[in-house]
Amino acid sequence: MTEVVDPRPIAAVLISVVGTFAILAAHRRPNVREGVTLAVAFGKFGIIASMIPGVLAGDVYVWSLGSFVIDIPFELRADALGLLFGTLASLLWIITSLYSIGYMRGLGEHSQTRYFASFAMSLSAAVGIAFASNLLVLFVFYEVLTAATYPLVAHDETEEARKAGRKYLAYTFGGGVAVLAGTAAVYWLAGTVAFTPGGIDALATADPTLARGAFALLAAGFGVKAGLMPLHSWLPDAMVAPTPVSGLLHAVAVVKSGVFGISRVVLDVYGPEAVADLGVGLALGSVAAITLVAASVIALRKDNLKRRLAYSTVSQLSYIVLGLSILHPDAITGGLLHIPAHAFMKLTLFFCAGIIHVETHTDDISDMAGIGKRMPLTMAAFAVAAAGMAGIPLVAGFVSKFYLLVGTVSVGNYVFAGALLLSGILNIAYFWPVVYQAFFESEDAHDAKPLVENPLGGAGRSSLAQTDGGRPEDEDDEEDDLDVDPEELGRPDFSGSSEKRDYSEPAPLVDGEYAVDQNPSDHTVDEGDEGDDADDHTPEDHHDTEEHHHEHHHGGPPPSGWTRSGWFGGESTWFMLGPILAAMTGSVVLGLVPHAAVFLRLIDGIVSAVLAGVTF
Amino acid sequence: MTDIVLPLLIAVPIVAAVAPLLLSLWSTETGWPVATVAALIETGLAAVLLRSVYLDGRLVHEVGGYPAPYGIELVGDGLSAPIVALVAVVSLGVLAFARSAGPRRNSFYSAYLLCVGGLMGISITGDLFNMFVFLEITGIATYALVAADRSGESAIAALKYLLLGTTGASLFLIGVGYALISTGTLNMVDLSVRLAEIYTTPGGSRVVLASFGFIAVGLGLKAAIFPLHTWQPDAYTYAPDTVTVFIAALASTVYAYALGRVVLTVFTVDFFDAVPLAQDGLLALATVSILAGSALAAVQSEVKRMFAYSSVAQFGLVVAAFALATPDSVLGGVIHLVGHGLMKGGLFAAAAILAARHGARTVDDYARLGYRSPVVAAALGVLGFALVGVPPSIGFLGKWYVALGAVRAEAWPVAVVVFLSTLFTLVYVARLLERLYFADPGTAATPAPGEAVTDGGDEDETADRVDSRVPDSVSVGMVAVVVLTALVVVALGFATSGFETLLDPVLTEVFSQ
Amino acid sequence: MIELLATRWAYAAFILLMVTGIYMMIANANLVKKVIGLNLFQSAVFLFFIASAYVVDGSVPIVHSEGGGGPYVSPLPHVIVLTAIVVGVSLTAVALALIVRIYGEYGTLDEAVLREVSDD
Repeated sequence: MTEVVDPRPIAAVLISVVGTFAILAAHRRPNVREGVTLAVAFGKFGIIASMIPGVLAGDVYVWSLGSFVIDIPFELRADALGLLFGTLASLLWIITSLYSIGYMRGLGEHSQTRYFASFAMSLSAAVGIAFASNLLVLFVFYEVLTAATYPLVAHDETEEARKAGRKYLAYTFGGGVAVLAGTAAVYWLAGTVAFTPGGIDALATADPTLARGAFALLAAGFGVKAGLMPLHSWLPDAMVAPTPVSGLLHAVAVVKSGVFGISRVVLDVYGPEAVADLGVGLALGSVAAITLVAASVIALRKDNLKRRLAYSTVSQLSYIVLGLSILHPDAITGGLLHIPAHAFMKLTLFFCAGIIHVETHTDDISDMAGIGKRMPLTMAAFAVAAAGMAGIPLVAGFVSKFYLLVGTVSVGNYVFAGALLLSGILNIAYFWPVVYQAFFESEDAHDAKPLVENPLGGAGRSSLAQTDGGRPEDEDDEEDDLDVDPEELGRPDFSGSSEKRDYSEPAPLVDGEYAVDQNPSDHTVDEGDEGDDADDHTPEDHHDTEEHHHEHHHGGPPPSGWTRSGWFGGESTWFMLGPILAAMTGSVVLGLVPHAAVFLRLIDGIVSAVLAGVTF
Repeated sequence: MTDIVLPLLIAVPIVAAVAPLLLSLWSTETGWPVATVAALIETGLAAVLLRSVYLDGRLVHEVGGYPAPYGIELVGDGLSAPIVALVAVVSLGVLAFARSAGPRRNSFYSAYLLCVGGLMGISITGDLFNMFVFLEITGIATYALVAADRSGESAIAALKYLLLGTTGASLFLIGVGYALISTGTLNMVDLSVRLAEIYTTPGGSRVVLASFGFIAVGLGLKAAIFPLHTWQPDAYTYAPDTVTVFIAALASTVYAYALGRVVLTVFTVDFFDAVPLAQDGLLALATVSILAGSALAAVQSEVKRMFAYSSVAQFGLVVAAFALATPDSVLGGVIHLVGHGLMKGGLFAAAAILAARHGARTVDDYARLGYRSPVVAAALGVLGFALVGVPPSIGFLGKWYVALGAVRAEAWPVAVVVFLSTLFTLVYVARLLERLYFADPGTAATPAPGEAVTDGGDEDETADRVDSRVPDSVSVGMVAVVVLTALVVVALGFATSGFETLLDPVLTEVFSQ
Repeated sequence: MIELLATRWAYAAFILLMVTGIYMMIANANLVKKVIGLNLFQSAVFLFFIASAYVVDGSVPIVHSEGGGGPYVSPLPHVIVLTAIVVGVSLTAVALALIVRIYGEYGTLDEAVLREVSDD
């Protein structure tokens, strides 16, 4: 491994900082602004990609800005692990930028300049995290990332978005404090916080209790962004953000920065061996295993598509953490490979959710029956990515999960292996209904969704469609328990500002138009709703229901049913379809020829360097 | 001969303070130019001092040629030089702000220069009684400044400040008295040697502890450490906005520096080792101050008052740093003193501009001002995040060193509070930022630009009442000061090595044992 | 205890004056009386210094050319007190000026009334 002094790591970080200001300066000219975004995105990826051959050959690119605090330099290093994350984030930023343009313009969103500027800043921070050479520099960018993504989470400027933003800040800055405390503790124990492949030697010999404490602080701090339970709950709420944000940041850059932090801590600060010796690996793995099963179970019951995807993200991130917590090359390879694999697949899924929202304003899965004929390409991409999530061969998810499974079985941890398999089955259980009803059901003939519609523990009534006649008056703030009434030709007009409609009266009908066209700007709806269509609310979601009741969604098929679009992009603009197909292709390429894609080769290098002195 | 800058630093503003009063016989508009010239000279002198200390270390001047410990020493070292630089730069910046923000009377500028002289004196004196004199000079000038807009409220606030401030200074004087009686000297370095002889003898530590207690409580009162802070929110809130910027950035900063100086140079680390009660007491006071100040800040509705309570918490952090008395924490304390001075000054200046433009005084008034004053709001956001401790900023640097010092000293409760103080600060900063940018579009009141000056933004105030605190108009210079502060705060986030070089000789000397 | 009071009565007076002064500042609603309390408190501190400088049978600290003549009273506390008196006088002046201003604005010097007036 040779260190090469090279300004490219710092250039990759700074290019989008400069871009941020250029975007702000061009706020009056949207086309210039978007041009800047794209140019910066391509430039950033170009800079990072140009380092890949060298790093694969064993070089490390280093650029130091001098001393940051005493004995800790402000230094950026592009090593294999950093490049893995940096390449991923910058490549997907290009795709997301294109998609953002289509999405934001399609919805006529406000504050687009702030949106694109914050996005560019977030990417700077993400790449800074990737190339940080020690824990403190990593922390710096970790905090910048939090600050830069806050405007994106609170973008909608509604009470719900503000709440999500507050929660986001509280959780992630709380995590930041833990990271800082852990960093200080490591510095105190070891005298250095620089990343060393295989771990800092002084830590392995330090007082085990204190070392465990420092590890717990770091893992908890990074675990917040990595969505480890019980620190995950900001993530579903943050889905109130525009979908490209959910896609790139809350499935790739932000959450992966947490995972990346954990991988740095495990691989380069403590080293897998010390992690195993201290016994913290098992603890971390157990938290991850619990998270990945529990989040999958919760995802089953989410009717809002983006929320379901968010819980799926929580679950999938824990695959990575689980892989890292096991001292076996295959497990670590699988965990690291799941970083890009999950990124491509989840980005596809989020983009699909976004395009459905833009085109039909449908957010709930129960409104999506038969949507396959309206958006065939989108739903096909969704199906492919969902299959990958579940670990079906030929898609990226299979390769990484296979490695993980081999790794867990090799070390003889059958509980973890069982958790992985169980979660895989649950993945199918929560993704298959979406795909199935999109293609094989129609809006006027579809099955009930007992899991989504019934309260936990079951309700004392049939889940089949029934009329709501004869319900007491005082329940009029409850939602209609039918999602789509098969008999009804028109849909009730819930739109407008009618504060409280008397649901015992028939609603005025909207004829021949999408609800969307009536309400072009009703973009944020009820991500907070959990059991909205259930008749009998559990106490915890009752609050949510009341909160958002007045702005209940207007999604679902138009009165005349979904119109049929062809397979050639008639469903939306190519600004959005293109990125979806690109991301989907990425996940298939990663699944078909993992070694041809650069990620696995980077990972092989990382794993061999980290485990150099370990024998199995 | 560079040591001549030390007496000049004090003499220039005090002499210049007389000029506006005399010149007002001729013209009432002479205050600002005189003050600006004086402040420019001060900045130049401070730069010379900083450079000299940076390159050659400690600089000493014996006033009147009388050698220490008989005469008064003026000392420029790594501890005092950054504070001197801060005082000089901020007083210049505030003048740029005051150009159009007012107050414009000559007497205001006299008090202003007197205050600058006093602050400089506290920063560089090496004599304990001399410090008391400068404390009182600063105090008198500050009381006059707080009441400079001649409103009833500010007069009440100033009187409250005067009563408590003088009590604090008198307690300080009693503490000095104990030290003088037991040692017969007032020179700080000399005192540290002689006090050590006393507290190491059996039973001798009581008188030193009493002296320490009086001095710590006296300076704690001046620096507004909880629960001795009660004068401070009123004074900050009711003072004219220009004055608030000035005293929030400098007054408490210099008092907290004085506490640090006394702890480190007069009583020294050995005293803490010999009498743990002193250290524990100060740490407890500081920790409680962080918690209580943050909690009180979070519940305020008026922005100036929120920032005022925030200062209570931040000075808790600084005092904790000095009380921990480790090389890391002292470095952190000095960095945070300078950083907090800049950040809080910038925040109050931003608040003053928003008050002048939009009549915004309360957090609610700030709704969506991010779109109507984008530059100032953005600077306020940067300063706010810096105050939280988001890197890269000087706010982060200070916190890092204080926290590291606490961890290395294994003072776990302090470490926990220091780390959590980030979150406490976040509570009120995030509240403000959310209001600035993400408030419901409907809730933002849209007063006409001219209206702002007359109604002061307070709904409950009668419309005909003029808010005398608010600047009359907003000039480019005022906005520039705020933006520049925000940039400097971020840039100084990379200035560790500078602070380290400055402080290294002091730290080696203080922690030599 | 008695003996301590008899020999150190100046210090007892110091404490008495100081406590009285602080009590006046806290308990008295009238602003002028608060300032008087402050003056008392400061006077107590001056007394403390003067008492500390006293030497039994000490003479004025002017050293004759031929030397000797000790013991002398310590001059340093006297100088300090002189300075502190000047400071105290100016503080009182500023305080009274503020009080005049407050009276002109509100027509009262009662703290409780002032709080009521300025709160609404």
